[in-house]
Amino acid sequence: MPSPVIELVDVRKSFVMPGGERVDILDIPAFSLAAGEHCALEGRSGSGKSTLLNVVAGIMRPDSGRVLVDGLDLARLDEARRDRVRADRLGLVFQQFNLLPGFTALENVLVAMSFGSGRPDRRRAVGLLEAVGLGQRLDHKPSALSVGQQQRVAVARALANSPRAVLADEPTASIDPAHQQQVIDLLRNTCTEQGVALLVVTHAADVASQFPRRIRLEDFNRAARG
Amino acid sequence: MTLLGIAWRNIRQRLLTSLLTALSLALGVALVVATLVTAGIVKQAFESGAGLGYNMIVGAKGSPLQLVLNSVYLISKPIENISWDFYQQFLPAAQRPDGVDGTYAASTKTAVPICMGDYFRGFRVIGTNTTYFDRLTVGDGRPFAFAAGRNFRDDEFFGGVLGATVAARLTLRVGETFAPTHGADDGKVHDPFTVIGILARTDTPVDRGVFVNMEGFYLQDGHAKPVEGSGPSTGGQTSASGHVPLPFEQREVTAILLETASLPGMPGMPDLPAELTAMGLRTAINEGRDGQAAEPVREIRQLLDLFVRPLELLLLLVTALVVVVSAISILVSMVGSSLERSRDVAIMRALGARRGHVLAVVLIEAVLLAVGGGLVGWVLGHLLVGAIAPLITTNAGVSASVLSAAPGAELLLVPFLVGLAILAALLPAVAAYRTDVAKWLQGG
Repeated sequence: MPSPVIELVDVRKSFVMPGGERVDILDIPAFSLAAGEHCALEGRSGSGKSTLLNVVAGIMRPDSGRVLVDGLDLARLDEARRDRVRADRLGLVFQQFNLLPGFTALENVLVAMSFGSGRPDRRRAVGLLEAVGLGQRLDHKPSALSVGQQQRVAVARALANSPRAVLADEPTASIDPAHQQQVIDLLRNTCTEQGVALLVVTHAADVASQFPRRIRLEDFNRAARG
Repeated sequence: MTLLGIAWRNIRQRLLTSLLTALSLALGVALVVATLVTAGIVKQAFESGAGLGYNMIVGAKGSPLQLVLNSVYLISKPIENISWDFYQQFLPAAQRPDGVDGTYAASTKTAVPICMGDYFRGFRVIGTNTTYFDRLTVGDGRPFAFAAGRNFRDDEFFGGVLGATVAARLTLRVGETFAPTHGADDGKVHDPFTVIGILARTDTPVDRGVFVNMEGFYLQDGHAKPVEGSGPSTGGQTSASGHVPLPFEQREVTAILLETASLPGMPGMPDLPAELTAMGLRTAINEGRDGQAAEPVREIRQLLDLFVRPLELLLLLVTALVVVVSAISILVSMVGSSLERSRDVAIMRALGARRGHVLAVVLIEAVLLAVGGGLVGWVLGHLLVGAIAPLITTNAGVSASVLSAAPGAELLLVPFLVGLAILAALLPAVAAYRTDVAKWLQGG
């Protein structure tokens, strides 16, 4: 069994609601994602899927527990170091793609590179975009790209800094069924080629069914069981 | 992609807003630069008049400032004339018909008479003698230089020398003639004078002067003082062309440009410096009835202190307000786009950008706008000065052009603008710094 890229141990996260009530969102005794492993994470709405991704990405800090990314405990790192871990070791793909609208496809990838430890590598950025079939669309802005092409840019951008894992939050939710399969294939194939672990959050059973590992958040998040 | 590149992209993304912000800034800076440069030129015009080879002006009783403005800067009206006898008191025995030193001759190194009241096509006509260009200087001890021709001789009664601006504006050349008018441009037309020389540019009020031999000046209608009693005595040597000079009794001068001499000290004591001589001479003249003595440097310093410096302060205040308005335009532009920015910032933060990165991007964006707008404004400001240069040259007597500069103030403007831009961008920058990534990404 390869060593885990992502490992959660006794992670708890709660929010204080506007009325002052504290609500537990995450209570995860253990979860791990091995290097190169592809996993679909299902869960009903409000079960804490996005919060889990934010905690794993270091955007949010857990109230307690350990969040290990490539052996580094994000729960113990300050924000700047968590940012660096996210830039260097994780790639994020969002439901709305979240490309920077004023930047071309190539620049969207280069921007991600500029926040990593290495220097922005134009040749590598072009290579990534060519790998996702956008070699002819390097200088197109998101508004000039189709939905499917935008998602491809998002995938290329997620791989910009050679991450150890890609976290994708409902990557097929905003696109039509005809393109959903293309996106999943693209994500899985690209991550396989690069040897990158993939954690896809989805509520679509047909998407989840294509992954070798398929888990439900409610199964390991005690806070989601109530 | 560098942070600079990201900031530049952000500016291009909001091109219209960015252009309007930069334009507003540019207009402000243009106004500031034009104001600073023009104020500097005017100040230089006044300061340049104090170092022309004389340290005192003697004229009729009245306002000493008016005497200085009229005699040195060729602006304002002449007060009145002083008598020829009084002028003679500053001349040594060799230059006086009676062969006796004048009362103030010992204290005087140079005494240059000037007669005013005529005009030639808007420019002042100054009747004087050869000593004006032989003994006085352009400033800093540099002698007058002629771009064409030479100084007129004493016996060339109808010879004239033109300042550089006059020659250029009226396209007069050596050998051509000009006829001044009496009292004003529409006054009686006098006899013609011939251009003997054209001065090289001095960047002083002299450039705006039409200088004629005072012997010819005296011979014009209305220039002779009426006298009663016995017949006129001699007025000096006849001219080369046979003109008889105006008798001394009928002469007056408007002012005397005076360089005081250093007086020999008592045995074993140092000489009395010219500045101290000037103090004594000024007191002696001002206590008398014949006229007044004014020191240009002192009068101009008082003028600067009384009017120019407060005006400068006012200009500085206006300048500061303009720059503050420009800074507010940057602030408004950046705050206006903060919603759009928040999403971009959240995306960049999710990609691993540190808070410092997004803070820096916003600040760099503001500095780029400030520097861009500032540079355009700087060029516009100089073009504006270039556009009004003829007006400045005509009225202040100094050359002004696109290249005229107020180096100190203009150099200070750059760091000031950048600092102000950073200050104005701090609010949106801090907002970007504090962007809630999770909230924006979920909301996106």
